[in-house]
Amino acid sequence: MTTPVTNIKFASHADRLLEPVWAEITAITPEAEGISTYWLKFVDPAAQAAYSFLPGQFNMVYLPGFGEAAISVSSDSEDRSLVGHTIRFVGNVTRAVSRLKVGDVVGIRGPFGAAWPMQEIEGRDVIIAAGGIGLAPLRPPIYYIMNHRERFGKVYLLYGARTPSDLLYPNEYKKWEQAGIQVQITVDRADENWQGQVGVVPMLFYRFRMNPESVVLTCGPEIMIRFVVYEGLARRIPAENIYVSLERNMKCGQGSCGHCQLGPYFICKDGPVFRFDTLESFFNVEEF
Amino acid sequence: MDSLEELKDELRKIPWFRELTPQHLDKIARIAHLQQVKAGEVLFREGDKEENVYIVLEGRIALDMFVPPRGKVRFYTAEAWEVVGWSSVTPTVRQRTAGASAVTDGLLAAIDAEKLRQACEEDHDLGYLTMRRLANIVASRLMVTRLQLLDIFAEPEEKHVK
Amino acid sequence: MSSEHRPEIGSTVAIQKSAFNALLNNLKEQGYEAIGPHVKNETLVYEPITALEDLPRGYVTEQEAGHFRLIYLGHSRYFDVIPGAQSWKQFLFPSRKELFSLTKNDGGWKMEEGEKGTPAYAFIGVRGCELAAIQIQDNIFLRSDFNDPIYRARRERAFILSVNCLHPAGTCFCVSMGTGPRVNSGYDLNLTELEDVFLLTIGSESGRGALTGVPLEAANGFVLNAANRALEHSASQMGRKMDTSNLPELILNHLDDPYWRSIGERCLSCANCTQVCPTCFCWDTLDTLSLDGNETRRTRVWDSCFNPGYSYQAGGNTRPTIHSRYRQWLSHKLGNWKQQFGTLGCVGCGRCITWCPAAIDITAEVVALREETSR
Repeated sequence: MTTPVTNIKFASHADRLLEPVWAEITAITPEAEGISTYWLKFVDPAAQAAYSFLPGQFNMVYLPGFGEAAISVSSDSEDRSLVGHTIRFVGNVTRAVSRLKVGDVVGIRGPFGAAWPMQEIEGRDVIIAAGGIGLAPLRPPIYYIMNHRERFGKVYLLYGARTPSDLLYPNEYKKWEQAGIQVQITVDRADENWQGQVGVVPMLFYRFRMNPESVVLTCGPEIMIRFVVYEGLARRIPAENIYVSLERNMKCGQGSCGHCQLGPYFICKDGPVFRFDTLESFFNVEEF
Repeated sequence: MDSLEELKDELRKIPWFRELTPQHLDKIARIAHLQQVKAGEVLFREGDKEENVYIVLEGRIALDMFVPPRGKVRFYTAEAWEVVGWSSVTPTVRQRTAGASAVTDGLLAAIDAEKLRQACEEDHDLGYLTMRRLANIVASRLMVTRLQLLDIFAEPEEKHVK
Repeated sequence: MSSEHRPEIGSTVAIQKSAFNALLNNLKEQGYEAIGPHVKNETLVYEPITALEDLPRGYVTEQEAGHFRLIYLGHSRYFDVIPGAQSWKQFLFPSRKELFSLTKNDGGWKMEEGEKGTPAYAFIGVRGCELAAIQIQDNIFLRSDFNDPIYRARRERAFILSVNCLHPAGTCFCVSMGTGPRVNSGYDLNLTELEDVFLLTIGSESGRGALTGVPLEAANGFVLNAANRALEHSASQMGRKMDTSNLPELILNHLDDPYWRSIGERCLSCANCTQVCPTCFCWDTLDTLSLDGNETRRTRVWDSCFNPGYSYQAGGNTRPTIHSRYRQWLSHKLGNWKQQFGTLGCVGCGRCITWCPAAIDITAEVVALREETSR
């Protein structure tokens, strides 16, 4: 899982440490309460032509004077015209981003991180289990599967959020169903107007039979990930077939500053996507 | 087709019923009936005296509680092969603690709760199998409830460091 | 041997101590800023030096867990003092460095680099443990997938005059970690201080160049033997030792052990150990904005895994308790570092033991953990 090579020095061997490349906001799509997707185009057309990312990678988005935030790229990795970031407004930097308008400029460093193993999982059934904002880094694999549907077996999306108004990308579920992805949605709670399921994401594993050769791709709150892994393992899917995307605060994004370390791994460099068996020995150690 | 046989055929689609002896299946079938529901139909309300325990065969049943001043909170939906109203099988709970309504058109197997409790008292083998199944159902609901209680998607709070 | 005849790389020569300043002058003329140990404000620091006389001749350091004293004994040796809190880390990986500033300009931002130009340092008196630490930091900052331009520029220009350590102090355990007291490689010049002369082993072209015009003498068998005997004796005088035979497994297999809580009760989470440790590399970025919002600066500063806000997720602080942060430090330094960089992260310099205000001694903690987990 290597980062793509570009001529523009986007990141790792920059002449100036942490130097950003400037990108303009071309559109903002509100997705849910406190969450919007920002569609970026690099100011320098050569940078736009050179930039590419793999599903699961992230950029450090820089707002001068406020700082940076690590944000997964949530757009189609095979569409090189724009770079989309679905951002939840939760800290200093992201709240400042929420005040930006179309035409404003942000700094980008990236792409960073290990990607979802789309080539390795060809030929298999794929179960995508996402919770909350965790669907954002899983949208690129969904697009990739749609672009190459014949390369994969049965594909399921199991997605849950707190309430119906917190669900991401609801306008796309139908398109995904039409592309041959079985979409199961649940929410933690709702009111009587909600016609869908109410429960938790791990319960969605009970809605269909899955064969042990399936691959699970999951992202969401760590508790949800733990239970999704548990449901996968209980159905005899081995830990080597379960991939999780983790999150930690990041500063450099390049495996240097040390903040995102989990055991021997830098989540920014060795992850954020991990094969679960590589995490097993310490994933459940409290406060590690 | 005899409606008892039709009922047994429906029940045999469910894995737990396939594990019962023909005698036990027969005992339960005789105190149960098939019930069709239409989308929006109320199955039971909070506070109702209990009558049946339901197994969803087709469709979706929603469980709601009325929380003043929030209104009706939908906290669970049961899909095919899930049980609704399981507390009527336990010895002590006697009133519905939530309301149940059909979200979609559906088909349920309704079992007379009091007669089921009686059958379990008379035949402890059947009683054990039923209570064992009940324990699994309750465990699963407890796990779901805990995850909902943890509110894992909520906005992160500012935490103070020790 | 005449001074026109330059010695081969790998060979050892001797110089009179009075000739050392000629070496320092050569380095100055070649554009280096010489940095060496120096007594200042009653303690030992690494500072620019211009002459041999700036070195702490006659001093020793008395070091124990949570204890440091610089003592003047009056002996005649220049390079004998085991270092204080500072290490060479602060020169290659400065504790505070402005990366760039941005000024608002026509709807965009104009970028200015932080201080331009890279100093060329000549490190005078690098001990084996310190050189091993520099090599460990090379693995961290200079990689094929990531390259820190600040570290690289300084490291490429740095001249290293290392020193064979003949009088270790109370918290030293370089022998256990395989980093000393003899320096084997990685230097431009390696120095051994004997009674009358300095022995210098040439490690590189730069090392040869630094000796241009310096009066050299042959290093005969007698002085070489004296040096070897002194090094053997030094190796037997280490103040501490650490059995590394089952590291990292000892720590990584016992992350849940209640033992960590007992350390947590003593540790103050003051981060001294990470500051004085020559291999600790964590850093943070500070973004400051001018009051009018027209200028912002990005600065890199040292950070520490003991800082409470060091690691967090959306749900909150990853390590809110002191014992979990201590466990992170030790399970990294003597544990996961190996998988990350190929070696353990500790070089046996003893600084973390000396400078811990709670007198926590990692050599003792490893022993205690071994005992606890073998019950």
